Amino acid sequence: MNAVAKTVNLVKIYQDGAVPVPAVRGVDLQVEPGEFVAVMGPSGSGKSTLVHMLGGLDTRTSGEIWLDGKRVDTLSESAWALLRRKKIGFVFQFFNLVANMTVGDNVELPALLSGASPKVARRRRESLLAALNLTDRADAAPAQLSGGEQQRVALARALANEPALLLADEPTGNLDSRNTRDVLRLLGDVHKDGQTIVMVTHDARVASLADRVVSLFDGEIVDDGRIVRRRTGTAGEVIDLR
Amino acid sequence: MSTTRAGSRWVRADLRARKGPAALTVLAVAGIVAALITAVTLLEDGTNPWRGLFAQTEGAHVWIYTKDGPQVSLGGIDGVAETAGPYRSAPVTVAQDGRRDPAALRAMPATPPAVAHPVVAEGRWLDPAQPDGVVVERSFARSLGLRIGAPFTIIALNGGRHTLYVRGIADSADQGFYPEWTPGLAYVLPVMLDRVEPVQARSEWVTGLRLDDPEASQVVSQRAVVMLEDGLQRVYTWREVRASMELDNRLLGTLLALFGVVGLVAAALALANAAGGRVLGQLRDLATLKSMGFTKGQVALLLLVEHGALGLLGIALGAVTGWGVMAAMLGPSSVAAGPVLAIVAGTALVVLAAVGLPAWRGGRTPPIPAAPAAPPRGHLSRLARLALLVRLPPALVLGTRDAFTRRVPAFLTAFGLAVPMMMITIGLGVWSTLDSFKSHPEQVGQHASLYVRPGKLEPAAAQRIAERDKDVAAVYPGTDVNALAPGEARSVRVRALGGSAQPYPFPVVEGRMYARQGEAVAGQGLLDLLGVEIGDRVRLTVGGTPLIVRIVGRAVEPDQDGEVLSLGLDSLAEKDAEPPTYYALALQPGADPAEVRGRLLGESAEGLDVQAAVNPADRLSVIRVVIVALIAVLALIGLANLLTASALGLRDHAFDLAVLKAMGLTPRQVMATLVTGTGLLVVLGIGAGAVAGASVVTALIDLQGHTSGVGAGIGRAPSPVTLAVTVVVAVGAALAVALIPARRAARAQVPVTAR
Repeated sequence: MNAVAKTVNLVKIYQDGAVPVPAVRGVDLQVEPGEFVAVMGPSGSGKSTLVHMLGGLDTRTSGEIWLDGKRVDTLSESAWALLRRKKIGFVFQFFNLVANMTVGDNVELPALLSGASPKVARRRRESLLAALNLTDRADAAPAQLSGGEQQRVALARALANEPALLLADEPTGNLDSRNTRDVLRLLGDVHKDGQTIVMVTHDARVASLADRVVSLFDGEIVDDGRIVRRRTGTAGEVIDLR
Repeated sequence: MSTTRAGSRWVRADLRARKGPAALTVLAVAGIVAALITAVTLLEDGTNPWRGLFAQTEGAHVWIYTKDGPQVSLGGIDGVAETAGPYRSAPVTVAQDGRRDPAALRAMPATPPAVAHPVVAEGRWLDPAQPDGVVVERSFARSLGLRIGAPFTIIALNGGRHTLYVRGIADSADQGFYPEWTPGLAYVLPVMLDRVEPVQARSEWVTGLRLDDPEASQVVSQRAVVMLEDGLQRVYTWREVRASMELDNRLLGTLLALFGVVGLVAAALALANAAGGRVLGQLRDLATLKSMGFTKGQVALLLLVEHGALGLLGIALGAVTGWGVMAAMLGPSSVAAGPVLAIVAGTALVVLAAVGLPAWRGGRTPPIPAAPAAPPRGHLSRLARLALLVRLPPALVLGTRDAFTRRVPAFLTAFGLAVPMMMITIGLGVWSTLDSFKSHPEQVGQHASLYVRPGKLEPAAAQRIAERDKDVAAVYPGTDVNALAPGEARSVRVRALGGSAQPYPFPVVEGRMYARQGEAVAGQGLLDLLGVEIGDRVRLTVGGTPLIVRIVGRAVEPDQDGEVLSLGLDSLAEKDAEPPTYYALALQPGADPAEVRGRLLGESAEGLDVQAAVNPADRLSVIRVVIVALIAVLALIGLANLLTASALGLRDHAFDLAVLKAMGLTPRQVMATLVTGTGLLVVLGIGAGAVAGASVVTALIDLQGHTSGVGAGIGRAPSPVTLAVTVVVAVGAALAVALIPARRAARAQVPVTAR
């Protein structure tokens, strides 16, 4: 089976004035279907840049990006946009809901964009909001929602098109512990249903939810560990370091 | 299709979130388009009734007045297709309800001719069975209040009274409308004319020439002048008739066009500013849209559609309003489709171009939503450093710094306010020019406020009665005659008024007043027509007698498109000068013309014909309405700019403000900071606009005066007090508008982290 996402010697160098600032320096990463990968690292380690490049929000300087067995780093900005509609869902730290649109419209937008009829989009939105326990907030403006609720809406929006890959950039970075727990539980639930997730975080407790933790430092992978849970799950966990 | 649906959701949501500014944009564009359509309609010939009348009556292009029946065949001139007449015509006076109006009684056959046939609007044409019937030209009939069947009492030159009956009222393109064009026109059967005026020498003959090519009228009439020599009385062409019918519409149209075009620039700026500001405010949303899968082009298109649609809605609204106003005022057929379509298409292009750039920039938003859209890091501007140096309160220093952090929007805001303010100043200048017409009529050649025609009395008796009145300061005898200009196949007006030694105080703005016989002053229109300058000698022909005068000055001349030569009565040949046909009465300061008129009528037992001078400002009073409407539209544009500026300022500085609050700025200081940031640009823009407007307004009005023939020298800048009050009101209103969002921002709890 093909990897959902793969990078080969991926490099990103920001040109800030005359000084080149390397953000990502030769990252080889492979994400298998159904995997939940947490990308950890201190501030400035390039983890957000990596995820942005995986979703085509940022261009790579050199190296290769493969999604679903196809090479995508050579795509134009527009082709990336089309690809994102079908295959990639994004969740951001600051939720990034469209402020002027209701919660319902925010969730319907990606479905409409990918060509679903208004009726289908509405059905999908209803089931998503119901699953995330937000049905009664459908007509509210994002500003009327709490941070946790907004992030749940953002998650619903990201999942609206059943993307192959869900990219989450510090999804709990702006939430209190209770909302963090709620959002993580949801992420765990969709992962259990087979959703492939790449999540950026600098919080070890959040990362512990993942199958695998990739640590970045100064733009390079310094550690790539798989967390193996015993299926019975009764007597603790064993961390298997590769 | 898929993006259409998703996009329209977004556009709808966004528009709902900013109903007020959106409505403002629509209204501003609508106002401008309406002004432009009104202007074009007024400027376009469509409103000029001449075209329709000329077509209906199959009018003649050239009209020739001769002493006797023309001895030569005018129809034989090259380019003449058909001739009308010659018809015999006699001058008479119509006595109606105590009024006396000059009229030309023209003999026409009972079967209307093929060319230049009056079109009967009411009643019937002349009938040999009713020889006392008369058909009156429509504008003349309206002016006299005549209806079908009404008696039409005329006094012939020999003093004989005849009563005819109005059988018909007809449209004609033979001459301009009464009273702008005198004498009024009435048609009778030849037998009747012979009865009214048996003496051939007291009448003249009128011939109309219809040409193959209207442009040849100049050449043809010159040929006629040469052929007829001394027999010729005067000539005019269709151009003079058309010009006299269009009258004040042109001035109004020019004014509207000026305001419309500059207003369009201002509106485009406001639109670009609003769209640009909105895009800056939405960068995060746009990035989010892109992260969801909108392409660059789609985002740009979305923005173009959203902001463009507002502009197009405004255009549609303006087109309907403009068309409606014009149709209501001038009739539904007055609005020509071509120019309106051109305006709609042109403004649509301007609108799309104005929003195109911000839309394109919005499309290029990087799709990473986290990227902060911070203003360029503002180091203290020179102005802010100065503010710091003179120890202004901190809020003012910060506000001064904020005003210029984004240079382009700051410029657009100031400029966007300056343009409407400039136009408002110009509007006020036009207003004060009209006011000065009113308060100083002598500056537009209306030193005399009453004109007395002897009527039933002897001229000398009329003069005596006028001079006896206590409120009459001076009496100037006068006569208006038509003169033929050399090389110009048309007549010009020669106004002889007062003596050369004691001249009527014409408002001479260039050169000097005439001081002796053989000197004259001219209006700008005449100088342009003859191609002469002050100091030149001109030779005209008045009824066969040469009139040679030196033009020593230029006077402001609101009559006859400025094509008037003014001189002393003694410069005219005696046969033309004696007796004077009217007396111009200058009144004592403060005297009421109506009261004096009543007294003079009483003194003369209604024998005198006394008319009050019509101030040009009265004819132009509709301009005041237009100015008020335009100021309202311009204020809307300014307001739209202002809202954009203050919204942008708020957005740019919301984050800083949170920090400043944390550092200890009170809400009042925060508010002051925000208001200063916008207010500084407001003051700059409004100040610059007022200065620019005040410095060009006099020249602009004089330019209009020059082209319309009145001549330069009428323009007045708005008075300093008016201008100061306007500036203060504008700045005050702008600051009040800026205060509302600033207050809200100052009170709001801005979390430091939220971006």
